Amino acid sequence: MTVALLNPTESDPANVIAARQSRVTLRKTLISCAALAGALLLALLVLSLIGSERLPVQASLCALLSFGTNSCGLTQDQFDILFQIRVPRLLLAAAVGASLATAGASYQALLRNPLAEPYLLGISNGAAVGTMIALVFFGANEGSRPVLAFAGSLLATLAVYRLARGRAGATPERLILAGVIVTTFLSSVIVFVTTLMDATRIRSFTFWLLGDLSGTSKTLLPATITIAVLGAIALTLNARSLNLLMLGERDAFDLGVEVGRVRIVVFVVASLLVGSSVAASGSVGYVGLVVPHLARLSLGSDNRISIPAAALGGALFVIVADTVARTVIAPRELPVGAITALIGAPLFIYLLKRA
Amino acid sequence: MIVAGAFACTSHKQEPPEGPVTRTLTDDAGRRVSLPANVTRVISLAPNLTEIVFAVGGGDRLVGNTTYCDYPAEAKSIQKVGDTLQPSLEAIIALRPQVVLISTASQLEVFTRQLQNQNIAVFVTDPHDLEGVFRSIEQIGAILGQSDQASSVVKKLRDRAAAVEQAVQHAQPVSVFYQVSAEPLYTAGRDAFVTDLLRRAGAKSVTADVPGAWPRYSNESALAAKPEAIILPTGGSMGAGNSTVVEALNRSPAALAGRVYKINDDHLARPGPRAVDGLEELARALHPEAFKQ
Repeated sequence: MTVALLNPTESDPANVIAARQSRVTLRKTLISCAALAGALLLALLVLSLIGSERLPVQASLCALLSFGTNSCGLTQDQFDILFQIRVPRLLLAAAVGASLATAGASYQALLRNPLAEPYLLGISNGAAVGTMIALVFFGANEGSRPVLAFAGSLLATLAVYRLARGRAGATPERLILAGVIVTTFLSSVIVFVTTLMDATRIRSFTFWLLGDLSGTSKTLLPATITIAVLGAIALTLNARSLNLLMLGERDAFDLGVEVGRVRIVVFVVASLLVGSSVAASGSVGYVGLVVPHLARLSLGSDNRISIPAAALGGALFVIVADTVARTVIAPRELPVGAITALIGAPLFIYLLKRA
Repeated sequence: MIVAGAFACTSHKQEPPEGPVTRTLTDDAGRRVSLPANVTRVISLAPNLTEIVFAVGGGDRLVGNTTYCDYPAEAKSIQKVGDTLQPSLEAIIALRPQVVLISTASQLEVFTRQLQNQNIAVFVTDPHDLEGVFRSIEQIGAILGQSDQASSVVKKLRDRAAAVEQAVQHAQPVSVFYQVSAEPLYTAGRDAFVTDLLRRAGAKSVTADVPGAWPRYSNESALAAKPEAIILPTGGSMGAGNSTVVEALNRSPAALAGRVYKINDDHLARPGPRAVDGLEELARALHPEAFKQ
């Protein structure tokens, strides 16, 4: 396991906390985030034009730029395809991508482990079990899904953390082992719960488990977006503490970081992000792994940059992946999780070899 | 696809412990299946096959079936060996069947091999249209030595299907979206036998050319297809599942005109004798004018 990116010995502590650096960092953060945000907006606009049905480009652009107030000559059906189906789905994809990548970036910083990722640690599975329980017992109540998904991901996070913490602290190896144990345990819970479902439900469910954005629920969409945005802000505000924590918990404590508080904030906020995205779209894998790595490789390992950059990059990654999923075999569809894994796994191997 | 000649009896040299093998049938997977002359113990691993076994008069020889097998009523009291997706190999072998009937070849390759190692013949059915369903009935009739009854069952079903087609032949075909499930959206594609039922019922399925039997379908393509009617297979063993139209079709011509028809899923999803009930229900829903006396 190469830990070069996060290895505390590689970054000089004096450098990280130097006051004169922080203004440079702020500027760098603003510039890179502005660039990424611009790219994200552009991608949202362009990808709205792509789908299994062909829409007139000019009229669609005109309607999109008027935020749906002007139909610009689109027929009612075309207008509905654009604003009832594509745009909500793209927004959900962006929120899910941002949530998972931000959660991944902060788990990696907090646990000092480049492999810490909601999917690999079993946290997504915890949220999936929560969502399943909501589906089986409170099927009609959509609001129960993110709540129970959050509870599931929080419990899974705590379980992994407890299991990983030996006398010598949470070593990277122990953490991944704990993640494997929790993942496989929760997978069997999922299999068990699916046997309680009827046959038609199982099929929708297996699709959902792989990560599926087609069932974009209008009632959950605003909450998912709000949680993604507030979560990314909350974690970015803790980025400085996370930088210091990357030096080790003891050093961070000596430098004045309230380690316990930061840990709780990260666990709770990241679990909330994972829970809300899994409740909305199932387990979309690799986003929390690949995107933060790309962010750190290109912008450096300062969390004040890499966390907000991961949020925007994650949104970008998932909207592109989902566009592939919904168009490549149109009018049929693939689950987006299959695409993120297909792009993510080789990219990750490449990154590991390069690092 | 199988031709009638596949039913020709041939002799076979091997003699398994269960008695002399006297005939070979070719199943829908293209496998040549050796069968004992006199089949007295059969297990069915799908509800449609259980219905066929009873329809051809072989219900008394059915020693095991699945938890999904709920029709006819007698099928419920037969020993269960698991469900269609996860049957128990041990339970099957313990019942000492001579033949196990399976629906679709995709099911359980390893499982089939294990049964064959126990000298249990595995016969696969995989109908893609109503003719295929009739063929399944004739095949199972042949396996059970009930060919005469199977032929008369098929003849009656064929007559009823022909009557339906006769009734709707001059009606304008209705464009239909067949919703298997709403979230995520599944429909019936080219290889689903229900696509053939829809055609015979005077409907034009908007997804009739989509590859596969049960494809995952794009919401926006469903909306753009502007179906005049929507079929919701629901009820029966499905309970209340799939009883609402997918959101993307809420403003479709079908929904606006109130042409959303709920039809018993057991009649549409099971390629068995009751598929013709499904055909009649589809045609009556889509073309009520054609059935006015």
